[in-house]
Order: sequence, then structure tokens, then C-alpha cells
Amino acid sequence: MAATLTANAPARPRKLLASRRTRAGILYALPVVVYLLVLFVYPILSTLFLSLKNTDGSLTLQWYVDALTGVNLSVLFTTLRISAETALFSLVFGFILANAISRLKPLWAGVAMLIVVVPHFISALVRTYGWIILLGDKGLVNEAMAKLWVPGAPFQLLYNEIGVVIGTTSVMLPYTVLLLYGVMRGVDRRLLAAAASMGAGRVTIFRRVYLPLVAPGLASAGLLSFILSLGYYITPALMGGPQQTMIASLINQQVMKQNQWNGAAAEGVILLLLTFAGLLLVKLITSLGASRKKRSAS
Amino acid sequence: MMELRRTVTGRITLTAVATVILLFLALPIVVIIVTSFSSNAFAAFPPKAWTFTWYTSLFADGSKWPAALSLSALVAALSTVFSLVIGVTAATALTRSELPLRSAVYALVLGPLLIPQIVTALGLFLLFEPASMLGSPLAIALGHTVLASPIAVLILVATLRGIDERLEDAAASMGAGRLTIARRITFPLAAPGMIAAAIFSFITSFDEFYISQFLSSVDTVTLPVQIYNSLTFDIDPSVTAISAILIAFAILALALVALVRWLGSGRQEPLLSVENTAGIAAPGGEAV
Repeated sequence: MAATLTANAPARPRKLLASRRTRAGILYALPVVVYLLVLFVYPILSTLFLSLKNTDGSLTLQWYVDALTGVNLSVLFTTLRISAETALFSLVFGFILANAISRLKPLWAGVAMLIVVVPHFISALVRTYGWIILLGDKGLVNEAMAKLWVPGAPFQLLYNEIGVVIGTTSVMLPYTVLLLYGVMRGVDRRLLAAAASMGAGRVTIFRRVYLPLVAPGLASAGLLSFILSLGYYITPALMGGPQQTMIASLINQQVMKQNQWNGAAAEGVILLLLTFAGLLLVKLITSLGASRKKRSAS
Repeated sequence: MMELRRTVTGRITLTAVATVILLFLALPIVVIIVTSFSSNAFAAFPPKAWTFTWYTSLFADGSKWPAALSLSALVAALSTVFSLVIGVTAATALTRSELPLRSAVYALVLGPLLIPQIVTALGLFLLFEPASMLGSPLAIALGHTVLASPIAVLILVATLRGIDERLEDAAASMGAGRLTIARRITFPLAAPGMIAAAIFSFITSFDEFYISQFLSSVDTVTLPVQIYNSLTFDIDPSVTAISAILIAFAILALALVALVRWLGSGRQEPLLSVENTAGIAAPGGEAV
């Protein structure tokens, strides 16, 4: 027994142990690495190459020129505009809701969080369909407004940008609520109490203490919902009109209807670059926030 | 902010606004469930008469729903198996070994979650089209695994991190072999995480739309693509029934995950708590 103990664990030469653990690590990591290299990295690289190639195989930037002119350029602007509007509404609603949940008693907070989380796992298609039923001329929303004698009702709430932003915001909102709730829980309440004990009023504490503490989280939550909206088209395609065509929808049309793979690839690369730019900003903001926290702690 | 005394009107306003936002999230779902039993599936809300017509018409002759449903189930099952194999091995590598380039592997795993799904879908189309694999359930499942396996990896990494490694060391010091340790110690402790990973992989694949749309053919259409088509082209009222079924399915799956987590946590924390519910939505805990 004593012999097996020494042979088995602590007395084993460290280097041999390390190298065996390394070999095991590489072996176990192999499936995920190979899988994602073949079915994720390689396809994206081939998209990149395709976007730079002419139909005869020579190199060209023509597809990018096409993507950034005329109708395609306006689709790009529409995408940026709808994504920005969605991010703004998700951020404001998300902030209010996360803040309210963080003040509730545990049981009610759990119930509220359930109402946030459950829709998150219901297909966006299904939720969009729900909005189509709700926002129609004879839908619940317009009927309710007519009953309340709202002047001008029924309103056109579908197949325009109002409908798209309502629908897309409801899809992105759970993300921002969950992110912001995490950020708000991370705020050290003693700082707020300290500010209050120094005589600061509610507004001052909110503006000078709370907001600076949650600002990096707010910025990254907003940016993330912006990034997620950029590549999204289920709701805009179903609840919008031709004016609300988004870049992802354009990629789909170019491949499925026009057989125009190169152009679709160029649109895809532009979408990818926009996403990377957004993620870089998120990284920058969170690292700035982290360094500020470190400075104030020391 | 909690310790500070708030004005009553301020509190009431905040609660009212928060309730409206919660309604904003819940209303589209409630309206579908109600409409699925309404005799008039499109106009008129609340319904004037109730019916099961839309549910029975799902399985009528010539209905496209059974084929789409079974294809999606098959694809999701395949994708779940692939994701679990990849997830268990990758999580073992990331938590129980000396892995060179660990952060590069992490970046690779997070990649599919961060870049637009439409770009992944286009890339997979370019990969499978020349191989004439469009419409193949295997190709769709392989594509979905690109999105599902990172989620499985993150859940299982969190699970394995939560298991005290000293339990495994203790078993080793008692002379247990590596297989015995995996079978008798690690596996039972990791089982709730594995069930959660399987359920999330299944949901991810079952709900996936972009990759399915690019990789499907006329004869093989997954459920989300069929729903999209019936909402765009042929308005088919039975789409309300299938939507309501999907809602029930999602709620059931989440309840199952919550139950498994609750049983796995030794029932110390309440089943319904903010941390529990929020933890369900952010399985990895470090995804972003």
C-alpha cells in the first residue's frame, strides 16, 4: 500500500507528470480544435477569399465597391440605423428593468427574472409572430388604443420601422437585462452608503457614484446588442418592408435568389469587420473599466 | 441604491415602468398561446370562440409540419451527440490538463458565439455546396454543432471547475485508476452539467434558423425554416399551433434544466431565485 502511494502521486518526477498532463490536454482538445478549424475557421477564410476573387479567378475589389455603393450602401446604413435604435431601446429598457429587479424581494426578483429568461429561449421566429398578431390593424395594441380613444388610432405598426424596432428590441432585451443585472450586482453598495453619509443627495449619488460605476457595463451591453442586431434579419424581414432590408437579409437574397456568391461574401466580410470593430470597443471599454476599478481600489 | 430611502412616487413609477417592460417581453408569447385556441386565427383578439382545429390541422394530409418537425428533431439529436463529445473532451482539456495555447483554444470556442450567424451560415454553405451536401440532415447537424458545441464547452467547463479536484486526487491516492475515477467520482458529479449541456445543445440546434436556411433543400426543411416560410409566403393558420407547441417545449426544457440544477446543488438554494434563473441564461458565466 505504501509502495503504491509513493509510486502514484506526489513523489512522481514533476517534469514527467507535466508532460503527461500536457499530452492528455492536447489529445482532449483535439476534437473541438479540429472541428472548429474545419467547420468554422476554414469556411470563414473561404468566404474572405471568395469576396476578393473575380468570377474568372483573378483578384478584385469590385465586390466591395458594389457592396458600398447604390442600394447596397443604403442597406448598410439601414442596418446600422436599425441596430443603433434597437441597442438604444434595449439599453434603456434593460437598465430600468435590471435596476427594478435588483431592488425586488428575492421571490419577486426570481419571478421577474423568469419572465426575462423564458422568452430568451423561445424561438425569435415565434416571438416575432406574436408581435405580428399584436401589432396588426385589428391587433390587441390598436384595439386597446381605439378603446382608449387615442387620437389617430389605428396606427400603422407593421411593415415599417416602428414594427421592426419593437420586434427586434424585444428579441435583444433579455441579453441587456441579464448583462446589466450582473453589472449592477457588482456595484459595491458601501460606496453609495458612504456618499450618502457625506451628505450627497439621491440625484448626486446616482450621477456621481452609481452611473460612473456602471458606465462601462452599460457601454458594453449597448454595444453587444448593437453587434447582435447587425447580423440579425428574422424580425426585420417579417415585420418590415423593403425599406427595412438588413445586410444579413441581403446576403441571403444574393445567395438564394441571385446566385451571387462573391457579392454575398463581400457583404459577409463587411459585417464581420463591423462586428470585430464593435467587439474591440467592448474589450477596450471593459479593460478601461477594470483598470479604473484597480486604481480606485489601491 | 437600495439602502437609500426613495420617495413613494418614485418607487411606484419604477415598478409600473418595469411591469410594462415585463409585459413587453411576455405579451407576444401569451398572445400566441391564446390565438392557437382561437377559432379565428388572425383578426379579433381576444377570441370569440375556442377550437383545437389548428392543432389537428398540423397532422392533416399534405401538411408540411410532421416532416419539418421530425427533421428538426433528428438534426437536433445528432447535433446534441456531437456537441457532448466535443464538449466533454474540450472541457476536460481546459480544466484538467496542462494545455498549451489555452487562451487560443478559448478564443476559438467563443468565436462562433461572437461572430454573426449569417456569416457562419454563408461559410458553411460554401463548404457544403461543392460537396453536394445541401439538404443532408448530417450537413445541417454538423453546421448546428458549430453553434451548439461552444455552449456545451462553456457549460461543462463551469461544471468541471465546480467539482473539487481533491475528490479525484483522494480517489487516486486510494488506488483508483483513471477510468474508475471518471466513472465513480467525476461523472456522477458532472451529470447535472452534462444534462444541461445536452438540453441547451438540443434547443440551440432545434431553434437554429440561418444555417438551416442556407443548408436546406426543397425536400428537407427544418421547423424554423418552415415557420419562416409560412409567415412569409403561404399564410397557414396552423403556424399558431406549432408556435404554441414550441413555447411549451421551451418552457419544459428550461424547467428540466432548473430541476436538474436544483437537484445537483443539493437543494440548498431555492428552486426559484435570481441567481438560479439568471445562471440558466448565462451557462458559461464567462462568455462575454
